[in-house]
Amino acid sequence: MMGAGLGLSTSRTTSGAPVLRVVGEIDRGNSAEFDAAVRAGLDPSAGLLVVDLSEVVYLDSAGLSVLFAHADDIEVVVPPLLAPILAISGLDTVIPVRTAAGSPGTE
Amino acid sequence: MPDSAGEEDAARLDIFSLDDVVGPDLAAVDWAATGLGAPEGWPQSLRTALGILLTSRFPMWMAWGPELTFFCNAAYRHDTLGRKYPWALGRPANEVWAEVWPEVWPRIRSVLETGASTWDEALLLFLERSGFREETYHTFSYSPLRDDEDAVVGMLCVVSEETERVVGERRMAMLRDLGAASAVRSEQEMLTFAAQQFGRYDRSFPFALFYLFDDGAARLAATSGIAPNHPSAPTVLPLTDTGAAWPAAAAAKGEASVVELEDRGPEPLPTGGWSEPPVRAIVQPLPGRGGEPIGFLVAAVNRYRPLDKAYRSFIELTAGHVATGIATARTSLAQQRRAEELTVLDTAKTAFFSNVSHEFRTPLTLIMGPVEELRTRLADADPRTREELEMVRRNGLRLGKLVNTLLDFSRIEAGRMGARFAPVDLSALTAELASVFRSAMERGGLGFEVDCPPLPEPVYVDRALWEKIVLNLLSNALKFTFDGSVRVAVRAEGGHALVTVADTGIGVPEHELPRLFERFHRIESARSRSNEGSGIGLALVKELVALHGGTISATSAEGVGTEFTVCIPFGRVHLPPDAVAAADEAGAAPGDSTADAFVHEALRWLPEVEEAEPVVSAVAGTAVPAHVLGVDDNADMREYLARLLSGAGYQVSALGDGASALEALRHWKPDLVVSDVMMAGVSGLDIVAALRREQRTTSVPVLLLSALAEPEASIEGLEAGADDYLTKPFSAAELLARVRAIIELARLRGHHARWRNALVETLHDAFFVADEDGTIMETNAAFTEILGYGPEGLPYRARYPWWPDPEVDAEADRLFGDAIARFLNEDSGSCTVPVTHRDGRRLWVAATFTGIVDPENGRRMSVGTFRDVTAEHYAVQRDAAVAAVSLRLSRSGDLDQALRGAVEEVRTLWGAERVLGALFPPGSDVPTITAAPAGVGWETLEGGLRDTLIDLRDGPPLVARRDLRAQGGVGVSLEGPRGILVLWLAIDRRPFSEQDRLLLSVLAGHLTQGLRRAHQIDEQRETALALQRAILGPSALPPGFAVRYEPAARPLEVGGDWYDTVELPDGRIGVVVGDCVGRGLEAATVMGQLRSACRALLLQDPENPGRVLNALDRFAAGVSGALCTTVFCAVLDPLTGLLTYSSAGHPPGILARADGGMDLLEQARSFPLAVRPAAPRPCASELVPPRATLLLYTDGLVERRRHSLNGGIAKAGLALREERDTGVEELAARVMARMRPHDGYEDDVAVLLYRHPGPFETVFPARAERLAQVRDGLRGWLERCGLSGETTQRVLVAAGEACANAVEHAHVGRPDGFVRLCTEAFAEHILVSVADDGSWRSPRRPRDGIRGRGIEVMRGMVDDVSVDSGDEGTVVSLRIEVE
Repeated sequence: MMGAGLGLSTSRTTSGAPVLRVVGEIDRGNSAEFDAAVRAGLDPSAGLLVVDLSEVVYLDSAGLSVLFAHADDIEVVVPPLLAPILAISGLDTVIPVRTAAGSPGTE
Repeated sequence: MPDSAGEEDAARLDIFSLDDVVGPDLAAVDWAATGLGAPEGWPQSLRTALGILLTSRFPMWMAWGPELTFFCNAAYRHDTLGRKYPWALGRPANEVWAEVWPEVWPRIRSVLETGASTWDEALLLFLERSGFREETYHTFSYSPLRDDEDAVVGMLCVVSEETERVVGERRMAMLRDLGAASAVRSEQEMLTFAAQQFGRYDRSFPFALFYLFDDGAARLAATSGIAPNHPSAPTVLPLTDTGAAWPAAAAAKGEASVVELEDRGPEPLPTGGWSEPPVRAIVQPLPGRGGEPIGFLVAAVNRYRPLDKAYRSFIELTAGHVATGIATARTSLAQQRRAEELTVLDTAKTAFFSNVSHEFRTPLTLIMGPVEELRTRLADADPRTREELEMVRRNGLRLGKLVNTLLDFSRIEAGRMGARFAPVDLSALTAELASVFRSAMERGGLGFEVDCPPLPEPVYVDRALWEKIVLNLLSNALKFTFDGSVRVAVRAEGGHALVTVADTGIGVPEHELPRLFERFHRIESARSRSNEGSGIGLALVKELVALHGGTISATSAEGVGTEFTVCIPFGRVHLPPDAVAAADEAGAAPGDSTADAFVHEALRWLPEVEEAEPVVSAVAGTAVPAHVLGVDDNADMREYLARLLSGAGYQVSALGDGASALEALRHWKPDLVVSDVMMAGVSGLDIVAALRREQRTTSVPVLLLSALAEPEASIEGLEAGADDYLTKPFSAAELLARVRAIIELARLRGHHARWRNALVETLHDAFFVADEDGTIMETNAAFTEILGYGPEGLPYRARYPWWPDPEVDAEADRLFGDAIARFLNEDSGSCTVPVTHRDGRRLWVAATFTGIVDPENGRRMSVGTFRDVTAEHYAVQRDAAVAAVSLRLSRSGDLDQALRGAVEEVRTLWGAERVLGALFPPGSDVPTITAAPAGVGWETLEGGLRDTLIDLRDGPPLVARRDLRAQGGVGVSLEGPRGILVLWLAIDRRPFSEQDRLLLSVLAGHLTQGLRRAHQIDEQRETALALQRAILGPSALPPGFAVRYEPAARPLEVGGDWYDTVELPDGRIGVVVGDCVGRGLEAATVMGQLRSACRALLLQDPENPGRVLNALDRFAAGVSGALCTTVFCAVLDPLTGLLTYSSAGHPPGILARADGGMDLLEQARSFPLAVRPAAPRPCASELVPPRATLLLYTDGLVERRRHSLNGGIAKAGLALREERDTGVEELAARVMARMRPHDGYEDDVAVLLYRHPGPFETVFPARAERLAQVRDGLRGWLERCGLSGETTQRVLVAAGEACANAVEHAHVGRPDGFVRLCTEAFAEHILVSVADDGSWRSPRRPRDGIRGRGIEVMRGMVDDVSVDSGDEGTVVSLRIEVE
C-alpha cells in the first residue's frame, strides 16, 4: 500500500468510554480505513467514542468528513498543530474537542 | 575530598598547559609582580576566560584587572605580536600597545563602561612590532569579561589581522589597473597613464619617476607624486655620472638597486599617501623586448611595509607592466607609421573606387537582369533593337568586370579574398584558359602559341583567381601587340611552376618597367588597340600571384615585346593551412562569365567590319543632308553615334581612331566632325589642331566628346578650336541639339556673319522677347522645342498657357507668379521656375532676362533665355530624397525600425495623406502593415485597396504603378528580406509625374538595399548573441537558478564574460562566473576554453573550489589571453544551502537574506588567474539561508566610469534586496534593468542568481494512495524553506487538499491521469500550484461535503487561493505569506 501508514488501537477510559487512538497521517488515501475504525469503535452504551488524534500529524478534509459523519457519537482529542484546521472547518462547534499538550509536530 | 590547594595548583597548571606554545611563557611570568598576583589566587572567571583564550585557534588577546594585564594566545602571537613576544605577557595593555593606545583605549574604555562589544573592520593601526612603524589592518571585536560577581573587569579581543589581504588587494588592484592600459596608444600616453596609476596608489608608492634611456643618458619621461623640478627628479642623468641622484648606470645594466633616501638635501621629499616621507626607493630597470633595459623606474617605497620579497616582486611586476606598455606602444607606433606610409595612397584610391564600385553593383544588377530577360524576349525584334540591347549588355559586362576587379582589390586588402587552394594540373588549366583567347588572337592577326607540357606534380591554386591571372595577362598581350605573336608556356624549374606569357608587342620603356605593376599607373602615350582601361589589371595580377605565394616579373624591350613570368612554388607549405582544399574541391571549371567578359572586351578592340563606309540613311526633307564624321575608339560609342545621327537625318561615317580620321579628312570635307577626345595615338585635340592648321579644313566644325567633366578640359578643347564640347554621359537630345546648332551656325556663317555672335549666344537656349506687360512677342525654335508652344500662338499673354495650374499644383503656381513679378519689375535677373509643357508634363527651366528700352518707341522691353533643367532639378530632388531615406535607414537599429522610418520618410517626401508598407511573407496573402500615420491594419483596409496591394505584389518589382484599381494612389513593390514589400502612397489630389514615378522606383531600389542591410544587422546581432550563449553557459539550469547575459551595447560585440553551472555526481552544483580580459572573438575563445576547463576541474575535485582555481591557474598559464581573467568559483549543496567558494580577483557575490539583511561573499579572495600560479588559493564557506538570494555577476554590471566599484556593488545589492520577493527569472530581469545605464552597458555583463531552496516540482499519478508520498517530499522542501511549524502545516494541508481534489475530481474515471505540484519560495511568500489535466468541478456547485470543505480548508490555511479552469485542465494556485 502506497498510502499513509495509519496506526489504530482501541482501549477504554477509566470511566469505560471507548477510545480510538490514531497515529500517523489521515488523508484521502486512508480515510475509508479510518472511517471503518471509527464505526467499529462506537459503543453507544458506554458513551461517546474518544477519537484520540494527538499523535496525528496530518488531517485533510477527507478525515474531517469522517469526523463530521460521526459528530453526535464522538469526542476528539487533537494536537495543537491540528487545532487551526478544526477551527476552520467548524468541527469544534459540533464535536467536543480537546487539545492535547506536547503532541507531535509542535517542535 | 582531595586536598583543595593541590586541586588549585593542578588547575593552574592545567590552565597554562592548555597550550604548549604560549603556556610555558605564561608560566614563566612573575605574576606576583603584576596587579593580578600569583595565579593560585586568580578567580574562576579569569581562569575560564584564559581557558577559552588559550584553546582557541582564532587570534585573541585579553586584558584583565585594574592594570588591564595582557594575555594572548598562540595564534595572536604568531599573527600579530611579532617581536613583542614574550615581553608583552603580563604587562599592562597600555604598555604593550603604547603606539596605538590613542585608538585602542577609547574602545576598551567603552567596553569596560557600557559592557557592550565593539566591532572594527580592517582598521589601520601602525604597530611597532617588527622594529619599525608598520602599516597593519585588523578586524576585531572587543567584548567585556566579567568576574565571578558579574562586574566587568576586563576585555577580550578577538582579532583577525588582515594586513596581508588589504595590502595584497591594493597591489592587485594596481596591477590590474596598470594592465588595463591596452587602449593606450602612444608611448607618452602610456607613461602618463602609468604615472596616473602610480599616483592613485600613493600608499604603495609615495612618489615615482620614470626614466627612459636615450642616447647615452637617462631622460625623465614622467613623474608621479613629485614635482618635475624637484632636486631628486633631474631631467637628464648621464650614464657615466656615478654621483648622480639615481644609479642610472646600474639600471642600464639591468640591475635593480635600493637607494636610502636619508640626507637627500634640504628640499623635503613628497610623502605620498602618508604623513612622513619615504626612507627608501627602489631603482628598478624597465626590461625591453630583447632584455636590454629601455629605462628605469624610481619607486619610493612605503616606509610602513617591510621591503620583503613580495614587495620587491610587486615592484618588478609594475615595472614589467610599464615596460610592456612602452614596448607595445613603440612597436605599434612603428608598425603603424610604416603601414600608413605604405598604404595611404593605394588605400585611399582603392577605398574610393571600391566604395563607388560597390554602389555600382546594385544598379548594374538591376540593368543586367532585365537586359538578359529582354534579350530572350526580344529575340525576334528588329535588328536595331537587338543591336542596341547587345550594346547595353556588352557594356554592362565590361562595367561589371571593372567593378569586380576593384572589389577584388578591396577584398585582398581586407584579407577577405577567401581563396581555396586545391591541387590542379596547372598546364591543362592554363592551356584551357588560353584556348578561350585563340579566336580573338587570330582575329587580331596574331600568332598564338600554347606550349603547356604536363608538370611533374600538381600546383595549388584557386581556380577562379588563376583564371583572372591568365586572362588578364593574355588580354594585356593582345592589347599591346599589333603584329607577331603571343606565346603562353608552362615549365617546372627549381621547385616552382613557371608560367610565361610573351608577346612581340610595343614593349615597355625601361624607365616604366618598375612601375608596371603599380595600381592606376598607365603608360602615357603607349600605342594600344584600345585606350580603354583603368590601369589596374596588372596590379591585380600581382596581388593575386602573391596570394598564391608566388611572384611575377616582367622583362621588356621597346619595340621587341614583353614577357611576363609567373612563378608559383610546388607544394602547399607556403599557403595558410586553413585555405588549402582537397583536389576534389578544386572548384568549377573556368567561369564562363569571367572569360566571356575578357574575350568580349578584347573582341571589341579588333577590326570587325569596314565602318568608314557612309551609313545609308533615310534623309528627311529636301535639303542635302549634312555629312557627319564620327570618330571614337569605343566601338559601341561609335555605333551609337552613327545610329543617333543617321536617325536624325544626317549622313554619317564612323572611324575607330584618330589617324584614320586624319587620313580620311585629307581628301574629304564633312559638314561636322564629332570626335572623342581621349583616343590612343591621335587624340580628338590632335584632330582639331590638324584641321585648323590647314586652310582647306579650317572651317570644318568639330564637336568634341569627352568623359572628363572638368571645366579645364572643355576650355582646353575650345581653345584648340573645337566648336563645342560635350561631356559623357550625354542625352541624345542634347547631342542632336548641339549638332544641329553647329551645322546651322556653320551654314549661317557665310550669309549672316554679323548675326553670328548674337545667335551663338542664344540658339542653344530658348529665346524670347516680351513687352512691359510681360506679353511674349517673339520666340525661337528652342522655345518651341522646350515648351511645345510655337510662334503660331504669338503673342502669348499672361497668364501664359505654360503657367502651372494652381488647382493642380499650388506651389508651382506661386513660384511662377513670383518669377513673373521679378521679370516685370527688375532690370535683370535669373531664376529657376516650374512650367507646364503643352503635353502636360512638369518642366523646370532656368531663365535669364535683361530689360532694355526699345529705341524706336521708348517702351521697356525684356529679352530672356531659358533652358530645360528638369533633369537636373529632379536629380537634385531625387538625391535629397534618397539621402533622407538612406539616413533614416542607416539610423535604424533593426528591420522593423528601418521599415517604419522609411514609410514615414516617404510620406513626408510626397506629402501623402497616408503611406502603407505591406510586407507579404512568402506564400501568404496576409501581410504585416506598417503605416504612416500608424493605426491601420490589414483587416481594417478597404477591400479594393487590399486587392491593389496584392496586384502590386504580383507585379514586377521596383516599377512604380498608379491607379491600378482607381484607388487614388501609387504603389511599388520590392524584394524585402522577409518577403515582398509593397509600398502604397495615397495621393489623391496631387499629380504624380514621370519624375515622381522614377523617384519612387529609385527609392524602392534603395529601400531594397537598406532593408537588406538592416536585416543583416538583425541577423548579425542574433548570431553574435547565439554564439555567446552557446559558449557561455549550460542550456538547462538546475532549479532555483536564473542567468542573464548582455553584450556591450556599443559596439555590439561578444565578450569574455561567462557563467556556468555544473551538476556534480553527488547532487551538489558547481557554480562559476568569470570574466576574461578583452572583447571580440579572441576573448570569447579564451572564455570557452576556461569554461570547459573549469567544468572539468569541478567534476574532478568538487571539494575545494580554491584547488579548482589553482588547477585553472595552471591551465590558464598556458592559454594566451587568459592572464588576469577573474573567476568566482563555488560549490553549492542545494539541500543545505552550504556554499563553498573561492574568488580569483572577482567582485564579491551578494547575498540578500529573506529579512533584507545583506552579505558580501568577500572571503577567500585572491589574485586573478595565472598571476601567481603557484600560490595556494583560499577557500571559504557561507550558508545560503532559507529564502535568501545569491547574486554573482561580472564587473560590467557594477562598473561605471567615474564611479566607485563599491558604489556599483551597493547599488546592485539594493536592487537585489528591494526585489527579493520576486521569482529569480523576473528578479534577474529587474536587476539588469535597474543597473542598465541609459545607453546600454559599456561592457558585457553576465549575471547568475540563485534562490535557496530551488523550486520543488513533482508529477504523480492521480491516485489517492500517492498523496502521502507527495507530502513527504513537500515536507522536506518546506523544511529547507526555514518556515515555522505552523506555517509548514498550513502549506502542507492546503497543498494536500489541492492535490487530493485533483486526484479525486479531475480524474473521475480516468485513473491514468497525472497531477503536477510545483512550489516556489520567495523572500516573503511561498507559491504552490497544483495542475491537473482534467476538469475541475466548480466550487460554486452545491456543497457535497468533501469538496466544499476542501476549498474551505484551503482558504482558511493560505492567504490567497485562485482556481484557473480551462480546456487543458485546472490550476489551483496558493499563496502563503511568510510571517
